[in-house]
Amino acid sequence: MHRSRLKAVTALLGVLALVGAACSKSSSSPGGETGTPAPTDQTVCASADLTAGDLLAKICESGLIRFATDPVYPPQSSLNPQTGEYEGFDIDTATEIAKRMGLEIEWATPDWTVLTAGGWNDRWDVSVGSMTITPERAEVLYFTQPYYFAPAGFAVHADNTTITSAADLAGQKVGVCGGCTYEDYLNGTLQIPDYTIDFAVAGAELVTYKTDKPAIDDLALGDCVRLCAAFSAVPTLQGAIDAGKAIKIVGPPLFYEPLAVAIDRSAPLDAASFVAALDEIVAQMHADGTLTAFSMATYGEDLTIQQGA
Amino acid sequence: MAAHIEIQGGAGETRPPEHPLDAGTRLSFRTKVVLVWTGIFALLGIFFWLAKFDIAWMNRTFKFIITGVWVTVVIAIVSIFFAVVLALLGSLGRLSKNAVAYGVSGFYTSFYRGTPLIVQIFLVYLALPQIGSSLQDRGLIGSTLARYFVLSAVLAGIIALSLNYGAYMTEIFRAGILSVGPDQTEAADALGMSYKQRMRRVVLPQAFKVIIPPTGNEFIAMIKDTALVSLIASSIFWYDIFKRATVAGNHDFKNLEALVVTAGIYWALTAIFTLFQTKLETRVSKGYVRQAGTPSRKPGAKRLEEQSRREDET
Amino acid sequence: MTAIDWKAVVKVEGLHKTFGDLEVLKGIDMEVHKGEVVVIFGRSGSGKSTLLRCINFLEDPTAGTIEVAGIRLQGGHRHRHKREQVRRVRMHAGMVFQDFPLFPHMTTIQNVMEGPITVKKMPEEQARPIARGLLDRVGLADKAEEYPIRLSGGQKQRVAIARALAMEPDVMLFDEPTSALDPELIHEVLAVMKALATDMHMTMMIVTHEMGFAREVANRLCFFHEGVILEEGTPVEVFDNTKFPETRKFLDAVL
Repeated sequence: MHRSRLKAVTALLGVLALVGAACSKSSSSPGGETGTPAPTDQTVCASADLTAGDLLAKICESGLIRFATDPVYPPQSSLNPQTGEYEGFDIDTATEIAKRMGLEIEWATPDWTVLTAGGWNDRWDVSVGSMTITPERAEVLYFTQPYYFAPAGFAVHADNTTITSAADLAGQKVGVCGGCTYEDYLNGTLQIPDYTIDFAVAGAELVTYKTDKPAIDDLALGDCVRLCAAFSAVPTLQGAIDAGKAIKIVGPPLFYEPLAVAIDRSAPLDAASFVAALDEIVAQMHADGTLTAFSMATYGEDLTIQQGA
Repeated sequence: MAAHIEIQGGAGETRPPEHPLDAGTRLSFRTKVVLVWTGIFALLGIFFWLAKFDIAWMNRTFKFIITGVWVTVVIAIVSIFFAVVLALLGSLGRLSKNAVAYGVSGFYTSFYRGTPLIVQIFLVYLALPQIGSSLQDRGLIGSTLARYFVLSAVLAGIIALSLNYGAYMTEIFRAGILSVGPDQTEAADALGMSYKQRMRRVVLPQAFKVIIPPTGNEFIAMIKDTALVSLIASSIFWYDIFKRATVAGNHDFKNLEALVVTAGIYWALTAIFTLFQTKLETRVSKGYVRQAGTPSRKPGAKRLEEQSRREDET
Repeated sequence: MTAIDWKAVVKVEGLHKTFGDLEVLKGIDMEVHKGEVVVIFGRSGSGKSTLLRCINFLEDPTAGTIEVAGIRLQGGHRHRHKREQVRRVRMHAGMVFQDFPLFPHMTTIQNVMEGPITVKKMPEEQARPIARGLLDRVGLADKAEEYPIRLSGGQKQRVAIARALAMEPDVMLFDEPTSALDPELIHEVLAVMKALATDMHMTMMIVTHEMGFAREVANRLCFFHEGVILEEGTPVEVFDNTKFPETRKFLDAVL
């Protein structure tokens, strides 16, 4: 008797959890800064052809756009534990895109490797995640034009005096995020469309981590204790310094990577018009200075212009 | 991975018998243990202070992280429930004379005990949709059915955890069922009971008394394994303790402090559930452990009973 | 001695049972009639328990036919409805085991009610008074709400008898019912068994070493020797006019 009541309670809990899990997709969560709706411009969805039967029509009709972001990359994307809101340059950009499309946002935070591999199975619509355009990724994802260009560089421990340029990294232990473009750069295999890369680092001993953060932590332990240097996006390194990590950036950025908005190629419906619409919005945001404003606010400099060749 | 297969029938913890020479010291054993733990915690406190952990940050962020406890507990409870169902089926399969049941259950336990849990989680989350879309492409299923192959992160996590733990607990259940002697089976058969009746009325109720303690251990282990689900966690509503700690730590570059808070919360959860389990074990073994006052046949037993009661009181 | 009806409750024809290489039953033919008390005795390993266990198909005979209350079953073959038929046989034959395996998670009265309620689908309100009556009959009405762990061996065996009786069997099979009991507890169980014979006229097949009981209560004795029934007859015939030396040798050792 007692046992069957216990079973009933747990079964009920199970049903509740499953229902909750199934419904979790439809809960829209807090986003980044939202400005007032553009007073004069018409939103994209308002003027879209809803009968076209393609991805754009479906999304506009649902009134909801599902963004994927990885909130462990301040100041690009992070979750503020005090406010429970997502923050960062990527978040601001995505929020603005949604506003211009005339859609509500639903945030999702899948694993980064799941995103870059494509095959999203219609779980998410767009990734605004500071994703570098690479040929391999372009095979599984559509990219818009870049919305900004992230400088990449390296840092050493604050007490270090021996490493003053990229050439000094030869034979040293360099921490890097595994599977990131920085690893490819250090291996000399990175390819960026329309950009010639000068591989200034050769012969470094790579130590890979799941994300940049543990690499920075290991570097901060001490000069060449675990790592002699950490290679990452300069804003990330700067953010660590601002948070009190005992590291310092060495030299100018070694390359700039174009970062773009990505859409799954295996999306169930024809994505051409959707990608075009997003690309148009990014172009507009460049033209009317929105992106520059976001960049200044986040990084203190305008990263939306392509540097170098 | 927890493979708690030891069958415990006893009630709660035992402590080592008192050494006769200790009888003279003023402090009891329990007091001494409390002192040792206090010493350890004092050392930990000094370590914290030396390591310059940002205690203030830990305090500020604690509420955000602990909000994830309900997700952890819900996932664990739902998963252990389905794991028990699977373990029951699996154990009956392992004991079956039916070749299909035996073969399927054998494959199930071998695969899910032989592959890492994290791999299983990703398989359910990523491979299942591929199978669904592939079936759809070949026209074998429609698009609505294919959508069911695309599981949410939490659902995928629950399914993977249930399958994984069900496989390990199959052994627990099998041992539990076997622990019910063949004499009980024969007595049930002689009354004319069918297999189902025998299982439901005679074997399983007795098996449960053996199964419950190790199952409790599995649940406690599962509480910690739910952290792996955070690797595919997608919606902030379903962020568990570990995911919340990860994002909070990354936001403020306080990853180490975040991990310390996480460890503390899991430890507290484990301690609480271990307490429940000990109580459950005592309750469940009531019919099997001779309590004081039960008539015993051998005259010497009474003397032993009195002696052990005296020892408990000191 | 009880009045006997000439109606065979149990028929055993050509029963053979082999375990691996060892042939334990080498061709048994016997009949037990309604109201008869048959005591089976002999050395351990001679096949006595196996015979009983073949009758209710706890062991499947290697060859031969068993008939219980009109239900005929052959050993050796497995055909579709055999499991169902075996169950029916078992509902007509109650068994009392040497180690009195009561269900420890149920009280005494729940043990006794279990057969009727679960197997015969009897409602509890109906089964309870029957169970109470049976417990009273075996002298344990006051232990109805106790758990088996609190009972002595003799008490447990009496409850086991009540449990088997609750199914209203046509024959009761006793497999060395007192062999595991302390000497001072044997008497109470034998008393119950005797009452079963004299008051309820229950058909009984008893494997036992209690020869005094056999002489007093049995209608017929069967001496098992190396897998066959060597000698058979009334107590007077077997005890006082023993035909075979092996029987005599065994009786001398036991009495």
